[in-house]
Amino acid sequence: MRERFRALDPRLLWVLLALIALGTLTLYSAGRNTPQAGIWLKQSVWNLLGLVFLLLLATTDPRRIFRFSFPAYLLGLVALAAVLVVGKKIGGATRWFVLAGQTFQPSELMKWVTLLYVSQRLGSRNADTVSRLELFGAVGLVVFPMLLIQRQPDLGMALSFLPILLIIPLMKGLKTRWVMALLLLTSLGGFGAWKFVLKPYQKQRVMIFLDPSADLKGKGYQVNQSRIAIGSGGLIGKGFTSGSQTQLNFLPVKTTDFAFSVWAEERGFLGVLIALGLFGLLLNRILEAARVAHTNAEVYFCAGAAGIFALHLLVNVGMVAGALPNKGMVLPFFSAGGSSTLSFFLALGLIMGVLHRSRVK
Amino acid sequence: MDPRQRPLLRRRLGVFQAMAWGLVGLLVLIYAWLQLVRSGEFSQLALQQAVKIRPIPAPRGLVLDRNGQRLVDNRRALHLVIQREDLPTKTEVIAALAEALVLDPAALARKVQSYRLAGKGRPLVLKENLDESGIALAERVRARYPFLSVEVAPRRVYLGDELAGHVLGYVGEVDEPMMKAKPELYRLGETIGKEGFEASGNDKLKGVDGQKRILVDQLGTEVANFGQVDAVAGRSLFLTLDAGLQKIAQDAMGEEAGAVVVLDLRDGGVLAMYSSPAYDPNLFLNRLSQDMVDRYLANNVTRPMVNRPLQGIYAPGSTFKLLVAIAALEKGVVTPNTVIYCAGKKNFYGRDFRCDKPTGHGGLSMVQAIAQSCDVYFYELASRLDIDDIYAAAEKYGLTERTGIDLPQEKRTRIPSRAWKKKTYPRDPKWYGGETISVGIGQGAVGVTPLGLARFYALLATRGKLLTPHLFYGFRDDQSNGLVPASAPGSRDTPLDPKIWAVLNEGLSEVVQSGTASTNPFVREIARQIPFSGKTGTAQVATFVDKAHYARQAKFLKDHALFAGFAPRDNPQIAFAVVVENAGFGSTSAAPVAAKLVKYWCLDRFTHPLPPPGGKLVDPFVPPQPPEEPE
Repeated sequence: MRERFRALDPRLLWVLLALIALGTLTLYSAGRNTPQAGIWLKQSVWNLLGLVFLLLLATTDPRRIFRFSFPAYLLGLVALAAVLVVGKKIGGATRWFVLAGQTFQPSELMKWVTLLYVSQRLGSRNADTVSRLELFGAVGLVVFPMLLIQRQPDLGMALSFLPILLIIPLMKGLKTRWVMALLLLTSLGGFGAWKFVLKPYQKQRVMIFLDPSADLKGKGYQVNQSRIAIGSGGLIGKGFTSGSQTQLNFLPVKTTDFAFSVWAEERGFLGVLIALGLFGLLLNRILEAARVAHTNAEVYFCAGAAGIFALHLLVNVGMVAGALPNKGMVLPFFSAGGSSTLSFFLALGLIMGVLHRSRVK
Repeated sequence: MDPRQRPLLRRRLGVFQAMAWGLVGLLVLIYAWLQLVRSGEFSQLALQQAVKIRPIPAPRGLVLDRNGQRLVDNRRALHLVIQREDLPTKTEVIAALAEALVLDPAALARKVQSYRLAGKGRPLVLKENLDESGIALAERVRARYPFLSVEVAPRRVYLGDELAGHVLGYVGEVDEPMMKAKPELYRLGETIGKEGFEASGNDKLKGVDGQKRILVDQLGTEVANFGQVDAVAGRSLFLTLDAGLQKIAQDAMGEEAGAVVVLDLRDGGVLAMYSSPAYDPNLFLNRLSQDMVDRYLANNVTRPMVNRPLQGIYAPGSTFKLLVAIAALEKGVVTPNTVIYCAGKKNFYGRDFRCDKPTGHGGLSMVQAIAQSCDVYFYELASRLDIDDIYAAAEKYGLTERTGIDLPQEKRTRIPSRAWKKKTYPRDPKWYGGETISVGIGQGAVGVTPLGLARFYALLATRGKLLTPHLFYGFRDDQSNGLVPASAPGSRDTPLDPKIWAVLNEGLSEVVQSGTASTNPFVREIARQIPFSGKTGTAQVATFVDKAHYARQAKFLKDHALFAGFAPRDNPQIAFAVVVENAGFGSTSAAPVAAKLVKYWCLDRFTHPLPPPGGKLVDPFVPPQPPEEPE
């Protein structure tokens, strides 16, 4: 058993535990005096469960996990297709399975399974010997589940698959024409998306992002209140469970999308520095894992994982500050939610396994 | 892994690491901007929406009659309101809300819009004075629209409903024109008196609104109170009105239109003042419904909103003859004993002027002429006078001025003179002698308010004291609930020559004892118990052709009946004026009303006082019902 615990990378573990502590405190404060008063407890159960999974994965040879990536990917596709048929509809979107009273969102896990499978496929090649066809194949593997997810619809989730593609510049390097092509593709894609793909409510979100004050009582209300919460926190914050925006319910959806605003209001800029510093250390440690990894697949997986964590960080923390469109993307360890929490722990467990193996060899 | 790969990947991963820290740095910059640079601005906004200053409306003072009976009471009312910061913006929400509350969607949208532009301080009131079913509806709707709130506020209740509607007036919210006129005086949304004594006594009745600083949550619910300045209730006060006498006046007028004024001869206090048809001020506390507009305002020929005692201008008819008599005696064109012969009509300036009695009264002295209300006698007096002599007498005895009563919008009595004609008819500025003849019997251009007429008869009763009619009697002492009398507004002495007064007094007594008023058996009966004095009057509305024609005429073309006088005859206590519109002769319609007033004031109030005015409105406050489950 002690052997098993030794498998845990201390530097990553301490950062992780610190983030869990911050997130739990935030949820406790956010849920206070609301029907969600017990949400911090519920989330702690998920966190504990996540830590158990983390421990299991950390002591497992990553190669054994990669072996399951293809069946897992196929299973994920089936699950994504199935959720469109038998999933539960909440707020106009069909994203959830209901199992024994618990909702489960397959797309959360599928993100990591896709990363796992793409890393495994491309990992069989050396970086500079990979063919264009293989790269296109990898892109296809990422885009296909994204399209299924966009059918739910869940644009935020679909976009969170994109960091997997960071493996490509990692292998081929960043070339000017690649960047140009990407820019061209994004602008074309953006135009196409606006014209054909985006639902009206998604377009509205973009419009409100461009001018949040246009509809203060409507859709712009959330971000506006969040900005007030963050800004009024000032340097040292209003104190734990003393944020007026949080405690008087001006701040919306404060246990999920806007949890970070709660932290920012009550702990101020210093608290934000601590939280962002921890996230920085987390990303750094994941990328260090990539540097010491034994196989290409492990390198790619760690790099992609860092990308996914970074995207969540950027979109959520940026969004609640009004710097990015209001896109429902959770902040790891702060936002309450079972599927996403477990997924993050599983990914970190695999990364710890990578670090462990690099040490013992 | 191919060992040659490692340096390449490490270099690229190094770029990734730099990018990760760059991302963290970017986010730190964004938060530094919000939390360090713009912190003050956002703190202000957070404070603004969480800490509210809400006014605490001060209850207005109660209004009591002279005996301490409540005329205006305060009760608790529940209003369905939206706090300013919770005002919905979406048209769909407003429309759905209107439907749920059974309101006109377009009207509600307009209301919200105008409140958004102008409303301050007070919340937007959606429904006022909720009754039991209104509260149930409000609670149901509130379950779906949590931004609604129910506000408890003091509400005026006018006891006796229409009993003293015109005297009391009603309260309402300060409106835009008033705000514009005196912005330093009013606060938007403040409750002020709009009509009657509520308006003229507003400064006495209103208290000082308090305010509280409270912490509210997102739904506008009070979470904490940071301290408040309590409202100071307005002072309660007594009116000179006697509710019992007022009730007598109301009942005596019945369905007839007209006016009743009774003045206290000691100080000019108004004991009763009734305008018929009356209105119920309670109805004006709510927003006017179409039904009420139809009933009271638009196209109502009986004009119930006019306060007839001080806004109705009536030809005084024969009640004016006393002033003509004074003018003639003072100028010396006749003596009390001068006998003038009445043959039923007399020719002046080439035109026949008819007397009321076609067969003629024969030879009459002044006392007899007053008692019999002989027109020819007073035509003759007028012919010996100039119009400006009559005007001078009217001016001397206060008939040309406003009485100065403490009610809003009193009209001025109209007494013609040469100057008046020049000003009023610039095309035909010359005064004709024939016009003076008509003025001699209170017709022609003469017009008086019932209040002005009562004041003139008060002057006759007091031998020349020109009283200032008033309603304010004094404040109520907070400890003993007793009256702290205020000093009555001053009177002016314009003494009548005792010899002249004796003649007029005898004439007025004879009117009731043996003259025109004595033809009515009820008046005769009362006068037997309580001798009183007065003068009948009949004010012509349309030209008189003959009796058959008159009988056929529509009601609204019939003459107004008047009766003015004082009681008791010896040591008088009250003076009164009664006008019954389109009722025919003063002796048959107006004098009995006056007799009822005299009977109550001098007899019945000591033995059979009327009960205090009741209110059919019950306290609408019941604890809010649990909201019913919407289907």
